[in-house]
Amino acid sequence: MNISMLIALFTGFVVATVLCLVVRKTGKVHHINAHDGEPPAAPVSEDAADLWVYLGKQELELVFDTIPEEICVIDKEYRVVRANRSFARTAGHPVKDVAGKVCYHLFGRRDACCDDCPARKTFKSGAPVLRQQLSVLREDRVHHYEISTYPVAGGNDGVYHVIEIRRDITDEKRMFEYLVRSEKFASIGNMTAGIAHEMNNPLSGISGNASNLLRLPQKYGLNEKGVSRVTAILNLATRATAIMTDLLHLSRRPEQLCILTDINELLTKTVNSLPVWGTQDVERIFTLAESLPEINCEPSKIQQVIVHLTTNAVQAIRERRQRDKSSERGRIAFSTKMENGLVKIAVVDNGCGIAEEHQSKIFDPFFSTKPTGEGTGLGLSVSNKLIEEQGGRLFFESANGLTMFTIELPFGQNNICQP
Amino acid sequence: MNGETGKKEYSILIVDDEKAIRMMLLDYLEDTYHTESAETGEAALDLLGKRSFDLVISDINMPGMSGPELLARIRTLYPTTKTALITAYNVDEYIQAAKEFSITNIIPKTVPFNFAELDFIVRGLVTGDIFGLQRYLLEDGAVIEKIVVKSTADARKAQDHLIELFEQRFGTSGDMKLILDEIITNAIYHAPVHDDGTEKYREFADITLEPHEYIYIECGFDSEKYAVGITDCQGHLTKETVLYKIERQITGEGLLDDSGRGIHMSRLFADRMIINIDPHQKTEVILVNYFSNKYRGYKPLYINEL
Repeated sequence: MNISMLIALFTGFVVATVLCLVVRKTGKVHHINAHDGEPPAAPVSEDAADLWVYLGKQELELVFDTIPEEICVIDKEYRVVRANRSFARTAGHPVKDVAGKVCYHLFGRRDACCDDCPARKTFKSGAPVLRQQLSVLREDRVHHYEISTYPVAGGNDGVYHVIEIRRDITDEKRMFEYLVRSEKFASIGNMTAGIAHEMNNPLSGISGNASNLLRLPQKYGLNEKGVSRVTAILNLATRATAIMTDLLHLSRRPEQLCILTDINELLTKTVNSLPVWGTQDVERIFTLAESLPEINCEPSKIQQVIVHLTTNAVQAIRERRQRDKSSERGRIAFSTKMENGLVKIAVVDNGCGIAEEHQSKIFDPFFSTKPTGEGTGLGLSVSNKLIEEQGGRLFFESANGLTMFTIELPFGQNNICQP
Repeated sequence: MNGETGKKEYSILIVDDEKAIRMMLLDYLEDTYHTESAETGEAALDLLGKRSFDLVISDINMPGMSGPELLARIRTLYPTTKTALITAYNVDEYIQAAKEFSITNIIPKTVPFNFAELDFIVRGLVTGDIFGLQRYLLEDGAVIEKIVVKSTADARKAQDHLIELFEQRFGTSGDMKLILDEIITNAIYHAPVHDDGTEKYREFADITLEPHEYIYIECGFDSEKYAVGITDCQGHLTKETVLYKIERQITGEGLLDDSGRGIHMSRLFADRMIINIDPHQKTEVILVNYFSNKYRGYKPLYINEL
């Protein structure tokens, strides 16, 4: 929802409310809506009009107080005639107490009107001021506001009251500045990389020529003193290069190499290239979805996860065989499918399963059920991170002698690697 | 910058818009070769119109004609002239251009400049004498091992032996274990082919090579590096294939390729990789690791095909 639209909408209400109030106070009920130009269709009795105004006031006050923007109506002496809850909250007074207080006392704890006060402009010109930015120091902190002021015409006296609507944009502004800063930082990074590259050419010239001088000093008429100076030049050029190299590393962003990938091909090629099939009596079964969309991802990372899940499955099968002294054939089923805008890769094995007490821990770094020295315990946590980096998820189920790991990868809009 | 042409067998033209770089390269090379220099590609073509050069070394980024364009023109106009690029930028960014213009040697401008390497590469290019690990070692260095591999069992033994040797002698083997595995596997399984070009052996199978299909491995070191050379006696690998594979890996397109990762990884993990090809005779892959990290940074591209 666009906040300025909201403000525009409610400004209408507020103006109406204020007019109601003004009218009620003076006791003269005539044309409430000045724009109509037409008198009410039927004569309205004074009591009925009062009730109508009263109900309208209740409703509009609620609206008035619900608006998060700070709204106040001030008179020519900058005294608050009326304010909503947001205004009172910022001022640090109950709503009923703010009326009669001076705006700039409340707003900026100031002794005088703000230098660039938009309300003053509206009082003077009779025209609204829209979205003027103003900074106010309050409680040792600079608050940034966006303020709009609208005139309430009071007959021949010119502007009678001003409605002031303001919004604290401090956080927004900070966020914006942060974005600008990070943009700036990124461009500094790019610049550094550029400079480091460009410096390499002159530096290689400096150091190469210095090396030549040192190789054959007499050829260039260089005495001992000259040699020591040229040695210093060579060393400094080498040091400058070391600094450039460090800068280059610092500014380098983690590289992401996204490629439109056929997941079925990736899965079969990866699984079939593993050396475990020759040595273990394990059957592999592929159930691949036809017409799977290509996914923009980093195939090497997905590949790493598939390798890890398959190796784990083979180990689980070996463990079950040893535990049960059974010769039941091991089976690993690999499948792909497309579901709810996700491409899913499942690896199901009939190995030893994951004990219930371990299930909450398997993605923890360094958690391992394997004997010390076998495996780092990092495989699944790394796999999890790799899949998350692709904007996907990795999860598992283990029950009734079957363990299933599923890799979910988003494609299209949700994909992290936009083509 | 001339006059001694008679004494010096080979001639080299340096093209770089930066005077200090031209001087640096001329100063180093002029003792051994007849050298001349040009500031732009256009000026280089003028010089080439007046006399022939055995080798042109050109900067990549120059005002006017770019280095790759210049070298492409030279290859059309003077097919016997050898060419190489030299750059201060990341060589990987020019692999595509290298492939397009069929440029196989890109020398990085390291700080300090690696003159010894320039020496090996230039000498190889002008003389065509590219094979053998010894010629890539400094004068204080030596080849210390020569191993002939005739089967997968031999290969495993040789790998273990070399890694142990590196660890013992130099206290490190870098990523040599991984690289050796890749390159030796390539040499065993992918080099021998039938007459129709299909590969003879299936990967991961235990095999014994036919007598003429042997591989030999050399290992040596000098005061700044240690190195391994792996040579197959087939020579089926072409520079186009190598460039194609490296480019596919650099752009990420080749991640699922059945082959090509080995070459890319070796280039990535070793400090230097030099590939020498004698078509239908032999292929030599030389892998170099420096003891200090002074020349690390951008990796060159060195592929020589006779």
